[in-house]
Amino acid sequence: MTVRSAWGIAGGALALALPLLGVDDYYLHLLVMAGLFYVLAAGMNLLLASGQLNLGHTAFFGLGAYASGLLGVHYGLSPLWTLPAGALFSGIAGWLLGLVTLRLRGAYFVLVTIGFAEVIRLVVTNWTDLTQGPMGLAGVPPFNLGAERFALTSKRHYYYLMLALAGATLWITARLLDSRVGRALRAVKENEALAESSGISAYRYTLLAMVIACLLAGAAGGFYAHYITFLSPELFGFQNTVTMAVMVVAGGQGTVLGPAVGALVFTFAPELLRMAAFYRMLLYGVILLLVVMFMPRGLVFYLRRLAASRASGPAAAARDGAPFEAGTGVGESAASPALTVEHVTVRFGGLAAVDDLSLALGRGEILALIGPNGAGKSTAFNVITGFQAAGTGRVRFGSDDITGDPPYRIAGRGLVRMFQRTSIFPDSSALDNVLTACHRLARTGLAGVLCMSRANRAEERGQVERARDLLAFVGLGHKEGELARMLSCGEQRLLGLAIALAPAPSVLLLDEPAAGLNAVETARLMGLIEGIRGHGLSVLLVEHDMKLVMGLCDRVVVLNYGVKIAEGTPAEIQRHQEVIRAYLGTGDAVARP
Amino acid sequence: MLAELVQHVVNGLILGGGYALMGIGLTLIFGIMRVVNFAHGELYMLGAFFLYTLFSLWGINFFAASLLAVAGVALVGAVVERLILRRLRGQPIEIPMLATVALSVIIQNAAILAWDPSPKTIRHPFSPVPLTFGPVHVVAIRVFAGAVAVGLIVGAHLFIQKTRLGRAMRATFQDTDMARLTGVDVDRIYLFTFAFGAALAGASGALLGAVFWVYPAMGDLAALKSFAIVIMGGLGNFLGAIVGGLLLGVAESLGAGYISSGYKDAIGFVLIIVLLLWRPQGLFGGKGLVR
Repeated sequence: MTVRSAWGIAGGALALALPLLGVDDYYLHLLVMAGLFYVLAAGMNLLLASGQLNLGHTAFFGLGAYASGLLGVHYGLSPLWTLPAGALFSGIAGWLLGLVTLRLRGAYFVLVTIGFAEVIRLVVTNWTDLTQGPMGLAGVPPFNLGAERFALTSKRHYYYLMLALAGATLWITARLLDSRVGRALRAVKENEALAESSGISAYRYTLLAMVIACLLAGAAGGFYAHYITFLSPELFGFQNTVTMAVMVVAGGQGTVLGPAVGALVFTFAPELLRMAAFYRMLLYGVILLLVVMFMPRGLVFYLRRLAASRASGPAAAARDGAPFEAGTGVGESAASPALTVEHVTVRFGGLAAVDDLSLALGRGEILALIGPNGAGKSTAFNVITGFQAAGTGRVRFGSDDITGDPPYRIAGRGLVRMFQRTSIFPDSSALDNVLTACHRLARTGLAGVLCMSRANRAEERGQVERARDLLAFVGLGHKEGELARMLSCGEQRLLGLAIALAPAPSVLLLDEPAAGLNAVETARLMGLIEGIRGHGLSVLLVEHDMKLVMGLCDRVVVLNYGVKIAEGTPAEIQRHQEVIRAYLGTGDAVARP
Repeated sequence: MLAELVQHVVNGLILGGGYALMGIGLTLIFGIMRVVNFAHGELYMLGAFFLYTLFSLWGINFFAASLLAVAGVALVGAVVERLILRRLRGQPIEIPMLATVALSVIIQNAAILAWDPSPKTIRHPFSPVPLTFGPVHVVAIRVFAGAVAVGLIVGAHLFIQKTRLGRAMRATFQDTDMARLTGVDVDRIYLFTFAFGAALAGASGALLGAVFWVYPAMGDLAALKSFAIVIMGGLGNFLGAIVGGLLLGVAESLGAGYISSGYKDAIGFVLIIVLLLWRPQGLFGGKGLVR
């Protein structure tokens, strides 16, 4: 048994035993409220893992509460039905809001969600026929187990009901954050473009997190309605969301236990401040400010650092340079080239960045795209990988037309790029970087992740194995535990290569892979690219290092001002007059005395 | 009928001028410092309370008191930037955001302790008899508030476009590192930007506080509305904040007149949700989405 599960069992046993230890009703009530806020904060934390802060989260709590309460008051439905109905209602509301707003990022998303909560608050306040407005909705029946004679009557009963709800929340959020779903969410936060190009749809995953967060908030709302039995528009107040956000950040955002620690601390702290009477809220604000300023990463982070200073993980056995498992072939028919670009034109204003470009990448071929700065090489890459819309023309992957597909879908087919600038997930370990990029290979669905099915566990193990293989292949096996941003520049490029290989592509696009590498590193890189071809991949690369291009590539395509001016073997290109004039030069400038 | 419509529009424009001042401050602070200032409403409230204290309690001349009130809010802004926000630079966006949330709790509760929560009026020296412009009747204080708001907006615009400091602010807005390389003291720009944004919020609070009521929670709704305004106009967009503010003022005034005063405060948010469906980057948001 691991230390972690021992702590888990001890914590669970303590939570179960608490009411039996003579804790009085006042503290039981506070614990119930802490649990309630934990469920809310945990949902907010899940979505925040992707960098999206929902500051209207209390709206979904309130919607769940009112939906559940109104069904109970007006239709006399059993709380056994109204509570899940409230959760579902909030989930649907969250889905609808997410559909509209999850294209927004950062501050925009934050402000729009605040606005949403405010609109709902005003509707609930003014729609007095339905909600009784500011008077509040009284007479919500207490919770019962199917019939009124099984009503929950004591605080202790509600404590256990909340314990079940909080336990379910803990399980769900822990499973999600600790799986490929959590990795996908963090990837969106750390480097959205790289996430998309590894086959992760930012929109889809943030929407999933939002819906789950809102389902949880709605369930918490339903619980609250039947526990307090009185609802008012105050539930939608901004102050509530602020409380949740404080719990998440002060507890430790992105961690599983952070929201729980935050909820406990910030439910009990204001109670302790009661003795300060008039100064209570002022002190609360000051504590809040101090926590944000001096512990921005949250209590769990600092506690864990204390624990971590005692233990350090074992170094992985290095077996650098070993082979890895490659992707399967392109499309169906082996007759068509791996990748075809047909008459693609992209204009920025009046300027044609790429002008009627056509090229074909054969299977197992290494093709270079060269040309002076501004020739349109990166634009061509962006069109091929879906980051830039083509004005006219088509892009085919095998025989499939992929023109206009979003990046994550193109990556999902097995056409993956490496970015020009160093592109990694900076705040994750090297291993997690590659593991995150293995995303598209996963087959088990959400249910499998949530139940921790055998297939899911086997798949996780397989992916870790694959990620280690890839790190070993690029020569970073001994660095798997290091944070990506702590690696050297050259190592980060190699990590980028491993990330690009992780989704098992059949075609790899490399944008200036040797930029910023020294001669030794470049030579190693050439060996790696040769090795990648040896695994059956086709490679299209943009590069300025002519030694690499001429020494490695089967064919070369030359661009100048967006136009293809030459195509041929390296030897042909080196003799091509126009290429020499536009790009390669004659060497005279150097030779002249 | 038409007269009534014109009357609503005029009232809305005057209200919108105050909103625009709030919005400009918020949008400058966000654009230049990448801080969503949740204490903006409290700075607005402080402007009103400083005026109330200086003028109604201490008997200082109304106009002098207004100037002093705005200067006082600017000073509060400068202190906040220097002691708190400067230490949080480089943190993810939610950290300074939560710090300003904490600040708003602190300032609002300090105001409750200092001035008690009951609403107060400022007995300004203007005549209560409405001035008549054709079919429209407006009390003098509103004319004054509208005129000062316009003056401040134009002044802020000229300041940002024409002065050396304004140019340094624009440079920092576009690219902080590049501005630093060309010799702009970015710390000073941040300090000034926050103080300037605070002063505009304080001025808005003093003006609208003299027209309406003064109470510690008056900033809550004002802050939410200024958020709506800056989203409408595009975060960090100066012109957008002005247009957004005027638009919201008029829409609210018309909404209260013709629809329902209960839903008046929801209009701004309904507007932004509709707007986002149509133009996710805001009315003028040429900069695209901002992280």
